[in-house]
Amino acid sequence: MKSYWKTVLTGGQDLDEYRAAVQDRNRELGAFLEFDPTRCAASTPDDAVVDGSAAAERVAGLPYAVKDNIAVSGFSLTCASRMLDGFRSPYSATAVRRLDAAGARPVGKTNLDEFGMGSATENSALAETHNPWDRSRVAGGSSGGSAVAVAAGMVPFALGSDTGGSIRQPAAFCGVYGLKPTYGAVSRYGLVAYASSLEGIGVLAADVDLTEAVFHIIRAEDEMDHSSIACPRELLDADSSAATDLRIGVLGGELGLDEVVATGYGRTVERLSELGFSVTAVELPTLEYSVPAYYTIAAAEASANLARYNGVRYGLRPDYAENPEELVRGAREQGFGPEVKLRILLGTYVLRSGFQEQYYLRAQKIRTAIRSDLARLFESVDVLCMPVFPVQPFAHGEAGLSPFQQKLADRFTSTANLAGVPALALPVGVERGLPLALQLLAPAFHEHRLFRAARVLEQYAPPATPPDYPPLWVKAGVPG
Amino acid sequence: MYQSFIGLEIHIQLLTETKIFCGCRSAFGDEPNTNVCPVCMGYPGILPTLNQRAIHLAYLVARALNCTLAETTGFDRKNYFYPDLPKNYQISQFAVPLGTGGYIDVEFHRKRKRVRIHEVHLEEDAGKMIHAGDMSLLDFNRAGTPLLEIVTEPDMEIGEEAETLLQQFRRLVRYLGVCDGNMEEGSMRCDANVSINRRGAGLGSKVEIKNMNSSRFVRKALNHEIARQQEILERGGTVVQETRLWNENRDLTETMRVKESASDYRYFPEPDLPPFSADDHFLAAVEADLVELPAQRRERFVREYALAESQADFLCDEKDLADYYEQAVLQGADPAAAASWLSTDVRKMLNRHATSLFKGPLSVQRFANLLMLLAEGRIHGTIAKQTLEAVFNEDKDPEVIISEKGWEQIADSGELQRYVEEVLAQQPQAVQQINAGDTRPLGFLVGRVMRSTSGRAEPQLVTSLLKQRLGLEIVHVLSFGGAISGTREDDGLIVPGDLRDLKQLMDDELSASVRFEEVQLGRFLSEEITPADWATLIDAVNGRLRKGDASGIVIAHGTDTLAYTAGLLYWFFADATIPIVLTASAVPWEPIAERAQSGSEAVRNLRAAVHRATSNVPGVHVVYGDQDLSPINLKFERFGAQSDSLPGPFRNWNQTAPVYHGRPVIDGPLELDLATLTERLEHAIGSIFVARIYPGMRGDTLIALINGGIRYFILELFDTGTASLRETPFSLRQAFSYGAEHGVRFFCTSQQEGTVDFSEYVTGHELWKEGAIPMGLLTTETVYTKLIAALIASDSGEEVVRRMEDEL
Repeated sequence: MKSYWKTVLTGGQDLDEYRAAVQDRNRELGAFLEFDPTRCAASTPDDAVVDGSAAAERVAGLPYAVKDNIAVSGFSLTCASRMLDGFRSPYSATAVRRLDAAGARPVGKTNLDEFGMGSATENSALAETHNPWDRSRVAGGSSGGSAVAVAAGMVPFALGSDTGGSIRQPAAFCGVYGLKPTYGAVSRYGLVAYASSLEGIGVLAADVDLTEAVFHIIRAEDEMDHSSIACPRELLDADSSAATDLRIGVLGGELGLDEVVATGYGRTVERLSELGFSVTAVELPTLEYSVPAYYTIAAAEASANLARYNGVRYGLRPDYAENPEELVRGAREQGFGPEVKLRILLGTYVLRSGFQEQYYLRAQKIRTAIRSDLARLFESVDVLCMPVFPVQPFAHGEAGLSPFQQKLADRFTSTANLAGVPALALPVGVERGLPLALQLLAPAFHEHRLFRAARVLEQYAPPATPPDYPPLWVKAGVPG
Repeated sequence: MYQSFIGLEIHIQLLTETKIFCGCRSAFGDEPNTNVCPVCMGYPGILPTLNQRAIHLAYLVARALNCTLAETTGFDRKNYFYPDLPKNYQISQFAVPLGTGGYIDVEFHRKRKRVRIHEVHLEEDAGKMIHAGDMSLLDFNRAGTPLLEIVTEPDMEIGEEAETLLQQFRRLVRYLGVCDGNMEEGSMRCDANVSINRRGAGLGSKVEIKNMNSSRFVRKALNHEIARQQEILERGGTVVQETRLWNENRDLTETMRVKESASDYRYFPEPDLPPFSADDHFLAAVEADLVELPAQRRERFVREYALAESQADFLCDEKDLADYYEQAVLQGADPAAAASWLSTDVRKMLNRHATSLFKGPLSVQRFANLLMLLAEGRIHGTIAKQTLEAVFNEDKDPEVIISEKGWEQIADSGELQRYVEEVLAQQPQAVQQINAGDTRPLGFLVGRVMRSTSGRAEPQLVTSLLKQRLGLEIVHVLSFGGAISGTREDDGLIVPGDLRDLKQLMDDELSASVRFEEVQLGRFLSEEITPADWATLIDAVNGRLRKGDASGIVIAHGTDTLAYTAGLLYWFFADATIPIVLTASAVPWEPIAERAQSGSEAVRNLRAAVHRATSNVPGVHVVYGDQDLSPINLKFERFGAQSDSLPGPFRNWNQTAPVYHGRPVIDGPLELDLATLTERLEHAIGSIFVARIYPGMRGDTLIALINGGIRYFILELFDTGTASLRETPFSLRQAFSYGAEHGVRFFCTSQQEGTVDFSEYVTGHELWKEGAIPMGLLTTETVYTKLIAALIASDSGEEVVRRMEDEL
């Protein structure tokens, strides 16, 4: 089997070695909530589905990790919540099924902020996750476990979900690539819903090629997800090879970055011109409204999406209840963590009849404004460049950012979710022992532009690996 | 004066193979939790996918309800917690329902009323929670069943209207094949909202009523609720805005929850489903599935096939039956005969064999053939019935049956004539007797011919051949009391008598060709008629019509009750093929010798009646002097004989062209024996009360009558429809609502000549609201006798009303 990555999984002994190595690292990092690589042994791609594409050849035989809010049949689906602790999924997400067909194999489920609500994976009710560059720091979130699993060399790639930055921000914190695809490009079927109109399944990987290959496999219109959209035919095979013939708009002005991040950002922007890109400074007047709009919409949708967890059909159920109402109340009281409760309450609040005009509908208006703001920008530039997060990985607990500061810091990432456009976080170097990152945005279904620019930057600054965790994987060379 | 406002929210489960958002089977009655999957169980990570069939059927209903169809429609989430709702939100439609601004025309007592449809929207059904002891059990089979909600404007005023709308809507959805409309099983459900207010003051505070699982309960619950709210307002109280439950065991509504605790559903657009666009292709497919709807079809049946409204109602109730009927007609069956056979003989056979028209042996082809054999004269009526029975017993074609059994009628009159001659030759004595003026042996001769042909001859044809051959014309004269057949005693009293020696009374010319058969139906005065006497008369007329030997029937009657008997005979025998002539006299019978010469009124009228009876003008006639009056709307207006200066005692009201012949209420042959008929008449008459409304009449008088067993009132109102309905002890309103609760019907006539029409007066409108039924131009006597006939012909109160509302 040709593979972009040299697989160690050629026999039972290697599998045990692999299991042991991952478990060792996981004890230190807390990336996985569940790990079971036995499925790797039986990896046979489904030719009918994969059709011998280059992307399939790249991923065939590869093990990968899945964020524990994405359904994989037989694995847990806890969303890092007490509510679903012990719940096993009876079905697989469409993205997982497509990877199955391509011959890739899921080996475990990764930690996250409960139901995807957080920016540090500190809201998990089930495990603590640490940054492989500095274990006293957070991995970012909410796809922190997936980012760590890739960054610490435990798997070549992982699936995550991105509602307001949940793939890109942990990817940036851990020094890996993180792609949030165009809304609708990847089926949401099997992704446990938090904020349906904003979120999607995406990829975290150690290099651009693999990021793109996985994206090409999971990208498809899906009859199980009526909000999924087929990629326009003319963009399906668009050229994504490294090229500098792109007009890059760089977000300027007062961005509120910390000093290290600001310096790194400035340096990379300078480098873009040097590399031959046509660079112009741009402004995004709606940026300051993105966080309030994002949280209003996300909370509103969450209040409905999380209503199904009532302890009746599955999940946590109180030992005793006087009546059905008490049972439901008890399950939700005991099952949800404080951040989840906060957002449900917030969402219920903004959706009350008589108050929608003031909150929910106003947020939708802002969303429309952000969309047209971006559309206007993309008339003159091909790619938009901006920071991912205003600070580098912060410390665990109270020494780090408060929950409120974390929310404010989502301003760069949430824009892409509100507008439904693709965005890629990519590593651009290491400063003070911690990764630095950049974010690129493109119009809907123009992911190839992101890969073109990222490939150029990858050559300029090859991604680094954390010193304590060299990859368990070796690049075997680009296939023919 | 209060005004009530009723709006309905009707839910129907759409008949799709699978659920609305997943591939699970959508079925009623399976083992609990067997038709479920992660989607309809609301598992984490699942998404809804819209069932295309469900949205198609939804648009079809909206189209049939004349709604404006949304070009683009969307789904919204309706948020509320309930254990049987898997996601704890329901995917429904809020901002842009698929259908808006429609209407349904409800036919209420033969008047059309337009009820506006506010909107039609599609949503998913919830599961079911059952409380068993200290457990609550959940079945999610129903969760995700496509559910269509139809919201009407508050355009109805009384429970009966809501009941009628539901029945009509049920028929509509069954015609469209989108729902079976079963309220007991819950495939069709109805909530109602009702408010009342002073007339003209707009809507009052709205009360919602739930838990009504039949259209009958909807009517009862609404009428109870209107009465309850009215009582509150009358006491000076305020109606609380709340949701109430109908308690069918206690026949009342009870508080479920008051408004304060009502839910805020926090609707917002469903992000998992993109808006649905109804493109031209989709709309064309919807249009193609739009069948002719029941109301239009019923109207067409009346128009095209000249059926009575009640017959068309019967045929169009189910689409299958209406289709069957039309196919039979298309294959050559006579429309009137087919309608009548389906509603009588065929229905009887289906009941007896416990089968349905569509599963049983009577295919459309066979049914049409049977009627055609009858129409072509290849079999006669009695044989046709035997053949129908044989089809059910032997499952063979009618043609095969009649040829196997040798039932084919002898249609060739030459051949039949030979049998007649044979019999006459064999029975010289009978012939002699007839020639001597005694017509009695005629029946004997008919029987002989029938026997010699093994029943293959049509008895009426045999009779007419015999009559022709013997030069006979027969008029039956039935004596039924009254001065015309009475005798005046010396002290002036008239005592019951009988007709004798009629022949002497007749002109010589007439008497030469006509044979009389006198029948004495008891010695009584016509003011003393009992139901048993009427039964005897009906039975006698029926017998003579069946015998088929007479040219006509004359009934000598008293003046006082003639208008009633005439009406009654019309509703029983309006389709008679010979004249049935009633006559009377204000002046009693005089000694024989004098009367023949005197030209007294009795003699003159009797002669005129006999002339009319031999005139070949079929139907029921009332002959008085030179008048040939209709039995419909006959009024006994004044006393005394007709003379040059005075018109006769009778006159027809509301009539431009007199009606003698038409469609009787008793359709098909009357097959009751005398004892049963007597019993049915007694029972019918015992449940009717004719009340003339008068100033000062109290509603509770009528209530006492209801408690005494009266179920049908004929109310003779003032003018074209007025009566006291003001809130006083003299108001009839309470009697109406009390009556409605007890299944009592009120038919309204007028004390004056003219048409009763509730659309004119304010009180007329109120009467309408209270459920009274205006009888148009029919007089009290005519309505009373029609009601008797309708009661004998019907199986239910609804059927009685339908028959009463049939046009002449």
